[in-house]
Amino acid sequence: MRESNSSSRIGDYFRAALACVATTLLTLPLHGVVDAANIVMIFLLVVALVAMRLGSGPAILAAFAGVALFDFFFVEPRFSMAVVDAQYLITFAVMLAVALVIGQLAARLREKALLAARREDEMRALYDMAKQLSGAIAAQQVADIVRRFLRSRLEVEAVLYLPRDDDTLAAIPAPLEGDPCQAHVQAVYEQGQPMHLVAEESAYAPGLALPLVSPLRTRGVLLVFGEHAEQVCAAERRPLLDAVASLTAIAVERLHYGDVAQKVTLDMESERLRSTLLSAVSHDLRTPLTVLVGLADSLTLARPALPAAALESALAIRDQALRLSGLVHNLLDMARLQTGKLPLNREWQPLEEVVGSSLQAMAGALAGREIRVDLAPNLPPLEFDAVLLERVFCNLLENAAKYAPQSDIVIAARIVGASAEISVADSGPGLPPDAGESVFEMFERGRHSGTASATSGVGLGLAICRAIVGAHGGRIWAERRAPGGTRMALTLPLGTPPVLEEETGE
Amino acid sequence: MNDDLPLILVVEDEPQIRRFVRAALEDQGRVVEAGSAAEALETFAGPAPALAIVDLGLPDRDGVDLIRELRTWTMLPLLVLSARSAETEKVAALDAGADDYLTKPFGVQELRARVRALLRRRKVGAGETAIEFGNIRVDRVHRTVTRDGAAIHLTPIEYRLLGVLLTNAGRVLTHRQLLREVWGPGHAERGHYLRIYIGHLRQKLEADPARPLHLLTETGVGYRFQLQDFAT
Repeated sequence: MRESNSSSRIGDYFRAALACVATTLLTLPLHGVVDAANIVMIFLLVVALVAMRLGSGPAILAAFAGVALFDFFFVEPRFSMAVVDAQYLITFAVMLAVALVIGQLAARLREKALLAARREDEMRALYDMAKQLSGAIAAQQVADIVRRFLRSRLEVEAVLYLPRDDDTLAAIPAPLEGDPCQAHVQAVYEQGQPMHLVAEESAYAPGLALPLVSPLRTRGVLLVFGEHAEQVCAAERRPLLDAVASLTAIAVERLHYGDVAQKVTLDMESERLRSTLLSAVSHDLRTPLTVLVGLADSLTLARPALPAAALESALAIRDQALRLSGLVHNLLDMARLQTGKLPLNREWQPLEEVVGSSLQAMAGALAGREIRVDLAPNLPPLEFDAVLLERVFCNLLENAAKYAPQSDIVIAARIVGASAEISVADSGPGLPPDAGESVFEMFERGRHSGTASATSGVGLGLAICRAIVGAHGGRIWAERRAPGGTRMALTLPLGTPPVLEEETGE
Repeated sequence: MNDDLPLILVVEDEPQIRRFVRAALEDQGRVVEAGSAAEALETFAGPAPALAIVDLGLPDRDGVDLIRELRTWTMLPLLVLSARSAETEKVAALDAGADDYLTKPFGVQELRARVRALLRRRKVGAGETAIEFGNIRVDRVHRTVTRDGAAIHLTPIEYRLLGVLLTNAGRVLTHRQLLREVWGPGHAERGHYLRIYIGHLRQKLEADPARPLHLLTETGVGYRFQLQDFAT
């Protein structure tokens, strides 16, 4: 279309000249029959028609040719450009002026009509593309649709750049070897401003990089390039290119949210599956364990009493079943904690209460121990999940009971800075010097010198403690005590407890 | 079998659990077994049981739902069997009207102690005018609290809280139930008030407030007032 422009333009001028010649030949027989003024009218009509059909240039040619031919063939002396009657000079001038004006007006009208038709065509094409984009379900499809449109409408090539998870851009279609203008495109993506690429800069040049701007953020870059600079840089093409970029941005954004929605659904699905699985496992393990504990316990209480050896076995079965139950409980807790979505039921409460309930819960394991509770009297209520903090205390007490047999235990709490520091200390053999943080790792078992063989249990307890304390915004660590023994310490932020209304009317 | 013993209904779908529960309770009552909520309701056509033990994980119906239905027409003591780390389930069951719960797995001694406490509660009721625990005596007529004869001053809210706990001695009361009873409806969000007043009561009534013998915490669920040690 565009290449044939210049040759067709010459043809238009030729056709305009031909029309004037034909008019002259057709009107020649009328000479002397009709008035010369009417011949002028016919010429003006031809100029108007030429302008409407062929545009303003040929119309100007037709205007001058018309005046010349009229002078030559119809004005005395005929077949000469000379004019005898000076009045005809006015006729010529008016005829030329009118022809030029009509010609320009008609030509402008034609251009407007052509432009409108082209616009409509463009709009329809854009609309079609938008419709196709709305059906696209993958980035590759979006790129294909946009590329097809730009190739057929503007005869330019395009590459679509979309961000990966780390915000670097990936080209569609991927370049065969190293992308020559990745840096420029990345800059456009980051700044959100279009950029012209000149030939020296890259192989995709002359080109234009357009950011895909959506209401929330830049979603990528559309790089358009062609063989000639004006194909992509011409001002009249920018509105169309901008429109394409906007439609692409919307399509890419829609894909993005589609992905997000799908991921959320998937997450929810797997979360639901996990918790269903957890509760099924916990139920299925709990029931036989309850039976085991209950039946073994019944045996130990049977009357008449079992022989000593059988009684011992029954007790061992009961204790092992209870241990297994604790283990299952720890595993399930850890599984819940590890999903990272543990709901904390935090409430303001005195620490004393959870210390008391933990000691009560661990009464069996701690039987016969000297236990000292030393809570600072100025300790304010703290905000924590009582069930989870009780787990922490129980695990710490259980550890002390396991690794420091016969040792006394001190539970203490005091204010240190903006935190409450709470500790459970024993005077057992103490941690090995190199233990440090590793005791809080999963399945790490305390390697207390001398007692390693006598102790058992999968090291989940302290890992659970760390997860729970961490969820409360505190930290937990282990220390060696000076004379001997272990001190497990943890902090909880103090925060601002709610004010209690004073009780009135005593 | 002694016909004077009270009837105890055990609603539990696992036959082996029913078996050892029956064995554990044989000197405390005559056990009637039900494997589902429907079977449990059928047993009420016969002689009324004095106590029901209900597992919350029933095959045919939500245990909490069954408790709610039972509570519409019977005040018999209800002991619930529930899993560990299922505090919300326990609270729901207690709010629906259950009296106490046991966490699986549980020992025979524990089960017997709870059952004995619930049956005794039923026998003596809560109508006594003077209640003693440890070295504390509460005179409900004169509204006085004494330790070894020496008066202890309680604020009105502390006294009201103690009163509610004593009336329900042996039962587990949820935070919500206590808040409603002591502070009135509309105060369910003031859990910290309850905990702090319980702390005050322990300071005044318990020998070692950090290791209470009577005013016991049921972590994540509520409180239980224990008049004496039932362990034996």
